[in-house]
Amino acid sequence: MTMAKRFNLAGQIPLITLVALCAVTALLTDRFLSPLNLTNILVQSSIMAVIAIGMTFVIVGGGFDLSVGSTVALAGCIAAMTMVKFGIAAGVLAGIATGALVGLANGLIIAKLGVNPFITTLGTMVLVRGLVFLVTGGAPVGDDGMPSAFIAFGSERLLGVHYLVWVPAVLLLVLSWVMHWTPYGRRIYATGGNREAAYLSGVQVERIIASTYIWCGALAGVAGVMLAARLQSGQPTSGEFYELTAIAAVVLGGASLQGGEGTLYKSIIGVFIMIVLGNSLNLLNVDSYWQRVAIGAVIIAAAAADRLRSRR
Amino acid sequence: MSTPAASASGIIKNFGATRALDHVDFDVMPGEIHALVGENGAGKSTLVRVLSGLHRPDRGGVAVDGRVCHFNSPHDAIVAGIATIPQELRLVPALSVAENLTLDDPPVRRRLGVATIDRAAMRDEARVALAELEFTPDPDARVDQLNFAERQLVAIAKALRRKCRLLILDEPTAALETREIERLFALLARMKRQGTAMIYVSHRLDEVVALADRCTVLRDGQVVATSRRGSFAVRDLVQAMTGRAEAQIGDRGKAPGETVLEDADERADAMRLRANEIVGLVGLLGSGTGRVLRRLYGLAAGGANVRVSGEARRLALPIDAIRAGIGMVPGERRLGLVMNLSVRDNILLPSLDRLTRGGSLDRNACDRLVADLMASLDVRPRNAALPVRALSGGNQQKVILAKWLALEVGVLLLQEPTQGVDIVAKAQIHALIHKFANRGGAVLASSSDLTELTRLCDSICALRQQKITARFEVEQGFDEKRLHAAIGG
Repeated sequence: MTMAKRFNLAGQIPLITLVALCAVTALLTDRFLSPLNLTNILVQSSIMAVIAIGMTFVIVGGGFDLSVGSTVALAGCIAAMTMVKFGIAAGVLAGIATGALVGLANGLIIAKLGVNPFITTLGTMVLVRGLVFLVTGGAPVGDDGMPSAFIAFGSERLLGVHYLVWVPAVLLLVLSWVMHWTPYGRRIYATGGNREAAYLSGVQVERIIASTYIWCGALAGVAGVMLAARLQSGQPTSGEFYELTAIAAVVLGGASLQGGEGTLYKSIIGVFIMIVLGNSLNLLNVDSYWQRVAIGAVIIAAAAADRLRSRR
Repeated sequence: MSTPAASASGIIKNFGATRALDHVDFDVMPGEIHALVGENGAGKSTLVRVLSGLHRPDRGGVAVDGRVCHFNSPHDAIVAGIATIPQELRLVPALSVAENLTLDDPPVRRRLGVATIDRAAMRDEARVALAELEFTPDPDARVDQLNFAERQLVAIAKALRRKCRLLILDEPTAALETREIERLFALLARMKRQGTAMIYVSHRLDEVVALADRCTVLRDGQVVATSRRGSFAVRDLVQAMTGRAEAQIGDRGKAPGETVLEDADERADAMRLRANEIVGLVGLLGSGTGRVLRRLYGLAAGGANVRVSGEARRLALPIDAIRAGIGMVPGERRLGLVMNLSVRDNILLPSLDRLTRGGSLDRNACDRLVADLMASLDVRPRNAALPVRALSGGNQQKVILAKWLALEVGVLLLQEPTQGVDIVAKAQIHALIHKFANRGGAVLASSSDLTELTRLCDSICALRQQKITARFEVEQGFDEKRLHAAIGG
């Protein structure tokens, strides 16, 4: 009985951290709870949440993806370029497909060739950022000519909630079902938990691993399209450090970097922790250099907590 | 008499609400082999961990040569003269034999005031240390090129390099062949004559009876018996460990039926398995018993051609074998289970597709299947949500069997099916395998434990250099000498 209680409590650490963080910030500054600020947090979190959902697939599958930040930029720019010429639907599709292609490349190299995921995605991170500058010539795309409906998607609301926030909400519902209630989802957990044992149980582990990178890339593509809508253009320098925030958020949400453990909604709590932390440091007028120090410390603390948990 | 080389007195160790050790007194004299036996979870490993400085006892103390010691880390225990040879040897695979041996304290010489490793001295030291164990490998060979028995000798030599008052051996023979076991026992006898105290932890009770001067039985964290050589037999130990007499396995009534699985290619180690039949595979390391099992499970390079109930099939991947109704219990439990997943997820892993309705797993069907299997296999604790790593070895092994029973396979390939499993769970697993065969299943089992095979199997194939050298029907009583000749032991 006591065991069960303690176990549940440990599982709720991300949520407790988030609530405590919000409570402390609310006490220190009354601007935190203003509707404008809360909306702002939601919208800021929405793009990162989509990336973190994809990252959770990869991390649960036992992998790692550093290339998502660059993929966001490439997908955003490709989406903007396509949209200006061929319309919104084509642009959105092109953006997502671009992300999925980057993911497919990562997945094939990592799963089929067995190259270390850290090195592979470090490589694609740099390579894809290079492609972004090649494609755009380094200048923002579609600064003036983006379709107005697309710009509305980046700023308007549906039922009082920003369109941008609906995207991760729907994805969370659908993909949580995929992770927990489909054979495919259970196989991701098994593969990440113990690749050899999963293989010997008939799981086609290479396909599973490759597929997690495709999810991650495609969702980074979705995030790129969302970012383009929000910025009303494709920005070649956008998305920098997004990979680190996303990985930190997933680990803060209790996923294990060893693989096999992690939950989508907890990763999204992790995203909120990262975004609220940045927001509260801003509201408290903490120097931006110190903000970086603080966020770096939080990432290390999250990884250390991961180790402490697995040691018990 | 004299002072014990090492002793533990009044040890209490709690893990949360569980008392792992309850007022345990234990000592070992110089030149004595003191065996420690008990079922899984009886507290053997905890006691070993207390003695080797990995756990601090909640109460009670450890003394070496009569002096009380407080170990804060394994290092303290090593310095005090307690060396442990764990089941998983702590050697660095990519370093050489000599480098591993001298890892804690490599010989150095000063060159221009800078200490550098003296490689020649290191090699000599390794050669001398290993020669004492009558083992003469190339000191420059990488440790990952040695087999398990050789690595174990390196680990023992490494332990003996320091002043060693007490050597703790945890299941040292679990992965050894008959000949290697004999060599190890000869070494232990020599060390005994030299006055080294030894604690010998093992599930193999016949070894304990043959080897130990004294034997202590633990049950539920308490010492239930300590007896001297000659005053204990396997039967008594089992009774002390379990609190009851050893269970007998029921009869295997049925005659073999139709052929279920056979090799389609011509080969010297071709297999044929029939329904209701349990075939044993025996052979020394490298004789190819593992290869046969791997081949029939689709793990051979280039795949294998077989006939499943007469139908030609190609097995190139485990999934091919699984689709043909073949399940495998690998020799290492970490290959059979995803340790951080629940018992439920592990049992369902091969059967996920069968349990899917309209793209989603059928929750009720899954729960029912898992509950039924856990009950019929007596998996404890009966909690499907528990991560499988929290289970004892015997229960983990049952979960691996449950995976294949959930899929209702027709053929089971078993590699060391009861390795590291206590005697009660072992009998349960044997009974399960018999039940599987009695219901028309075919079983192929390899084991380095010959007694296990004679008890479990209807017939036994002896392998040597990838060739079948003899077949024995267990019914007709069988000749161990002939078997040893067949495997070349």
